[in-house]
Amino acid sequence: MKNLIRAELMKLRTTRMIYGLAVAALAFAAISTIDAVSRAGKSGGGAALSTGQGIRDVMSAGSSSGLVLLLIGILVMAGEFRHSTATSTFLVCPKRGRVVAAKLAASVLVAAAIAVAASGLTLALSMPWLASKHLHVDIFSRNVGLVLLGGIAVMMIWAAVGVGVGSLIRNQTAAVIVALAWVGVIESLLVSYVPEVGKWVPGGAADALGDAANRAATGGLLPVWAGGLVFVAYGVVFAAAGTRFTMRRDIS
Amino acid sequence: MTSVQINGLTKRFGDVVAVDNLSFEVQTGSVTGFLGPNGAGKTTTLRMLLGLVEPTAGTATIGGAPYRSLADPFRHVGAVLDSTSFHPGRRARDHLRVLCVAAGIAVTRADEVLDQVGLSDVGDRRVRGFSLGMRQRLGLAAALLGDPEVLILDEPANGLDPQGVHWLRTFLRGYADQGRSVLVSSHLLIEVAHTVDDVVIVAKGRLVVQSSLADLAGRTKPGVWVRTPQAQILRDALAAKGIAAETQSAETVMAIDTTTEAVGVAAAGAGVVIFEMNAQHFDLEEFFLELTTPNLNTTTEGATR
Repeated sequence: MKNLIRAELMKLRTTRMIYGLAVAALAFAAISTIDAVSRAGKSGGGAALSTGQGIRDVMSAGSSSGLVLLLIGILVMAGEFRHSTATSTFLVCPKRGRVVAAKLAASVLVAAAIAVAASGLTLALSMPWLASKHLHVDIFSRNVGLVLLGGIAVMMIWAAVGVGVGSLIRNQTAAVIVALAWVGVIESLLVSYVPEVGKWVPGGAADALGDAANRAATGGLLPVWAGGLVFVAYGVVFAAAGTRFTMRRDIS
Repeated sequence: MTSVQINGLTKRFGDVVAVDNLSFEVQTGSVTGFLGPNGAGKTTTLRMLLGLVEPTAGTATIGGAPYRSLADPFRHVGAVLDSTSFHPGRRARDHLRVLCVAAGIAVTRADEVLDQVGLSDVGDRRVRGFSLGMRQRLGLAAALLGDPEVLILDEPANGLDPQGVHWLRTFLRGYADQGRSVLVSSHLLIEVAHTVDDVVIVAKGRLVVQSSLADLAGRTKPGVWVRTPQAQILRDALAAKGIAAETQSAETVMAIDTTTEAVGVAAAGAGVVIFEMNAQHFDLEEFFLELTTPNLNTTTEGATR
């Protein structure tokens, strides 16, 4: 199992895709952080920076790159079918459940690394800026530390969901389009306009866990702990369904 | 000793029966050619043998066990299935190293197999720029990583230049001569005729014949084709000497299982005028076509022109 995880990490390392996506994730985090700080307390922006909610808005900016992590998970799995490398992958390890498990582990590990970097970037950008506004922020406070940890968890789970989606939708392009359209458009609309449904969809649960403020402002998200449980459940369900589907499929 | 055993293997895709109750075996230390026209079910059979495709019925085992049950399959079986199954953006050496890591083999093995297939110089290039022939070699290199005792190759000569084909033949022959087994598929018998010991011929998913190449050649008898204005007289003269013959047209006779010398002597004895005469050699490719082409009588008797 350790060998399989190492092999999956090596697969990621030996193509350029992951570097591009990591840069994209960090860029998302940086832009969201700058956006959150500069618009806080203004009309159309979030709560004022002097409030706890305002600080949470800023700190949750790092997890805005969740979509990129979802993409990484999808590409880790669907890429094997796109390039027919699934053949050699399953020849080396015909026990497919272990292959999918290794992919989940590798994707979540990479997601954790990117998420930590993204959170670090958010802190590095916001702390001096907030200090210049004479706002003192305690990293270990509930409004900062917990939100950052939640954001990191969100990004790791998005990657696991991605592996599941990539297993269920064989065609890589279709998997990416479906996932982006669902999370980026349909879920956003549900969370904003039909919150009683939106809070239960993966994106809504992820927002709750990551304390994503821009959406929370409209109200109707689950509490952090419940959002966390629901989102973890989505991760498990997608990963399990993807594994099951991969076990039975003919590789041709 | 058998290394690969296929037993009643069947695969249906909806209404299409791709492989139909197929049984054959591969002997240890031999090269077995797995032959048939395109669409005969060869690739599906090999993929079922390797645990990639689930059979509808039947079993396929390697060394007595299904591929998926092998503890360390990469060290027992090497397979080359598809010349396009590489990530285009990954370097050739990295492709092999990933497989080494997954299989628990030392990564230095990647350099050894690159050398073995003659790709050492291009190991650092991304596969995107590889020709079909280079991809075939890279696929073979991957199959060799675990130093397996059974090699399974699906159309490995596709895209190889004549030197490459020659190299591959020599390589496979040498591999079997070390006491290992090779199962190699092809839609061209002539491509493998110089290499294989045994042949398994399939058409439309069914077994047509399994035999040693020598036995297969023995099934057809050499004949002598003669053009003469005195066909009937020649036939009588041949019959008098116990040589079977058939009249193919008013002017041509085919003498069966004999030599030009014997026909010449018989013709001279009867005073028959001969315009043309030549020996009909065993033509494996033609025989193969006859065996595998649908709607043709597939008797093996007198499979000559």
